[in-house]
Amino acid sequence: MKVQESLFIQKKKPLLKKLLDMLLERYPYASILAEDAKSGNYSVSRKNMSVGEAKRGTSRGFVVKVSDGKHYAEYSFNQIAEQDLDDLCARIAELVESSDKVMPEGLCESEYHVPAEEKAEFCGSTDYEIDPETLGDDAILAHLVKIKDEGLAFNEKILDCQVIASYQRYTKLFWSKDRMMEQSVMWMTGLLCFVAAKGEEFKTYYRTYSNLGGAEVLSRIDADIEECAKVVLELLDSETITPGEYDCICSPEVTGMIVHEAFGHGVEMDMFVKKRALAEQYVGERVASDLVTMHDGATAAREVATYYFDDEGTMAHDTTVIDRGILKSGISDLQSALVLNTEPTGNGRRESFRRKAYTRMTNTFFEGGADTKEEMIASIRYGFLLENPESGMEDPKNWGIQCMVNIAREIRDGRLTGKIFSPIVLTGYVPDLLKSISMMSENVYLGGSGMCGKGYKEWVKVSDGGPYIKAKIRLG
Amino acid sequence: MIEQIKTVLAQLGIKEYRIMESVQASIECFFVRKKLDLKRRTDLTDYDVVVFCPHEQDGKKKLGSSAVIIHPEMDTEEIRQSLQKAYHAAALVSNEYYELNAGKREEFVRADSQFAGQSLEESTRQIVEALYEADNAEKVFINSAEVFTTRTVRRIVNSRGVDVSYETYLVSGEYVVQCVEPQDVETYHHFSYHDAKLDALRQDVAEALAMTQSRAEAERAPRAGKYTILLSGKNLQEIMQYYCGRSGAGVVYQKYSNYQIGDQVQGDAIQGDALTIYMKAKEPYSDEGIAMKDRLLMENGTLKMFHGGCRYSYYLGIEPTGNYTSISVPVGSRTMEELKASPYLHIVSFSDFQMDIMSGHFGGEIRLAFLYDGEKVTPVTGGSVNGSILAVQANMLFSKERYQNDEYEGPYAVRIEGVDVAGTDQDQ
Repeated sequence: MKVQESLFIQKKKPLLKKLLDMLLERYPYASILAEDAKSGNYSVSRKNMSVGEAKRGTSRGFVVKVSDGKHYAEYSFNQIAEQDLDDLCARIAELVESSDKVMPEGLCESEYHVPAEEKAEFCGSTDYEIDPETLGDDAILAHLVKIKDEGLAFNEKILDCQVIASYQRYTKLFWSKDRMMEQSVMWMTGLLCFVAAKGEEFKTYYRTYSNLGGAEVLSRIDADIEECAKVVLELLDSETITPGEYDCICSPEVTGMIVHEAFGHGVEMDMFVKKRALAEQYVGERVASDLVTMHDGATAAREVATYYFDDEGTMAHDTTVIDRGILKSGISDLQSALVLNTEPTGNGRRESFRRKAYTRMTNTFFEGGADTKEEMIASIRYGFLLENPESGMEDPKNWGIQCMVNIAREIRDGRLTGKIFSPIVLTGYVPDLLKSISMMSENVYLGGSGMCGKGYKEWVKVSDGGPYIKAKIRLG
Repeated sequence: MIEQIKTVLAQLGIKEYRIMESVQASIECFFVRKKLDLKRRTDLTDYDVVVFCPHEQDGKKKLGSSAVIIHPEMDTEEIRQSLQKAYHAAALVSNEYYELNAGKREEFVRADSQFAGQSLEESTRQIVEALYEADNAEKVFINSAEVFTTRTVRRIVNSRGVDVSYETYLVSGEYVVQCVEPQDVETYHHFSYHDAKLDALRQDVAEALAMTQSRAEAERAPRAGKYTILLSGKNLQEIMQYYCGRSGAGVVYQKYSNYQIGDQVQGDAIQGDALTIYMKAKEPYSDEGIAMKDRLLMENGTLKMFHGGCRYSYYLGIEPTGNYTSISVPVGSRTMEELKASPYLHIVSFSDFQMDIMSGHFGGEIRLAFLYDGEKVTPVTGGSVNGSILAVQANMLFSKERYQNDEYEGPYAVRIEGVDVAGTDQDQ
């Protein structure tokens, strides 16, 4: 089934065309992005249930971008009526001319030329199997409650079992002088999280589920209940690791966090514009072992960050960022491409119509290799299998790594000993880690349950992943 | 629009509800070095509605709820469909019964802020001027910055008579400082002020420039091992989140915290400084329309209250306080000179310092630290900290010197013994 387009946006098209025409009479560049997004969020745990829409996932409004030939300005708003169009244009004009009011002496404005746009028209929708809205809140909640009850019944030491599901269905319309593009997309995610306590210390373990599509993703949670519950109980006996550099195997989820946080943020080309990314100096250079080929792109995979065009009207790409260890290309929004004199790669994304567009990742992953997880474990004399990523932070300027993982499983003489350590901080220098990758498993797994921020804000949906990888990593 | 929503609620027979109207205007400026790269304006009106459905399950009273966003462009039929769907969902939610906040119509509360008497453009200009005032050096400078100046007028009404409204001003943003010699490095900083704290911003930027210069001079990671560490500024603020998080009514009710009022939460044998924490009201009302006021959370290490909204407070049988975002902590017993009298590792910048309120673990990658070995102080970078508040909280020593931002006012630094640091295996 195809995701249906927004009736609201269809209704507003004539008015938006009028506004666009009025703006194009005044400015050499004008575009409008209209957005209508609807979300559903479900959560159940031992003592809590919730269902409803979240502000971050449900939004309806417009952002206008104009250029007077040298400078850009944007206006975000969520009410438009025929009689207000003159007033709207006046507010935009006031904004365009407001630079002197906000800039003290000693500062000036950047200058940009107007982007040359090729004519393009597009209309597309992604697919789904089960529409969460048709399935209904009753059925979704009942499914989650059943999982929760099974999880809680597994062992009396389980303090809680939280099950979460979320979806977003959105339509976006991008309209400029030469482009009229429309897309409708739906994704859905799930999370299963167990909590167990050891005195004052509360241990958690979670698994995530995501797809470009609908509620069909939920059935994947059922099979993991028992294993997930066992792991949180194992965590009660976890120890603190002795800091040091170890041979490590990263699960696909941990590989995804390294791909995304440690390297992906560093190839966002708005960072090149600000001279904030070391990667700019390494294009064409070796940054990883021969085994590593890395992709980013809304068309590179079918996951939660799949779309047809970005929030600036650029068609989506599949960008090969690293090709067999050599850094080939960054990813870019339109405005950064104008400065760098490069082609935009369809990575200009906004948190919503309320926010600015930045260069953002989409579906980011390493290609698979030829090894098996078992061969990788057998190859290690002493080291760890890292699982369950918790968080990561980018450092594009200095390629420092900070990733937190929940579990390090001890490997001794080629076998898992059953001993686990938690929590773990991964640190080091990104190219050192990527160049140390010596084995990769065949199958690639992508997950998209989380959101990606730029710094501490601007949250967008992304997926990341890869195969199991073997590398040398500093753990603490 | 509020009246339109109330009319539809009445037509649908929905008796319990809460509506929050937010009218927000902002000016946003994005700078690359000293050039304004993009300017933005927003004018947004939002309606967040929660519908409640009291019902019975197995003979027990329940209260379900569901949140729905009503867009200002929705017509009456679309509003009706959204609210009806939300009410149906609320009936499926079988949370224990609780009482909603009750109140009456109150006077509009104007913002007590210097920003209130001027335009958003003028406030933006003042902040940008303060931000760039110390940015005069060639080798260390502001690489890029973002400034958001926002005025919000909020009105909250509910089915129990609450009708409150107030205005807030918030200036927030972030800036990245770069130093190009002897190494090319950067540090990230963010700020938020409800009032025109221009001197505070000037001081923060001056310190950020000096700190980034030090980071450029730091060449090696500390040797791996156990250290006496000093945490300061926003990192100490993050540590305090453990006590605020663990005393949240929702966390306590769900048994994710063992805290009880009257507990000595730092343990029975505090050998360091006993903590006193006040929760500070930054806005006149919570999202539920609860009047916010400053409250004592902990006194000399003893927990005095739980905090939270109506639902979990009702379950615990306590007065609902609303949700807080700011705390105040009296200063500690030692001067910085005393805290630095014996060897230490003072970590002034992490890539992302985190305090996990569930496990009690804190940690992060070290961007800049000062290592004192008893003889000399050396800037170091790299490696990571991995500690547990449960293991160290009885022995924390706080500084007499103060630190303040919009969300925290209290000691500048804390000294913590015996924390694991991952670093190099050898002296370099």
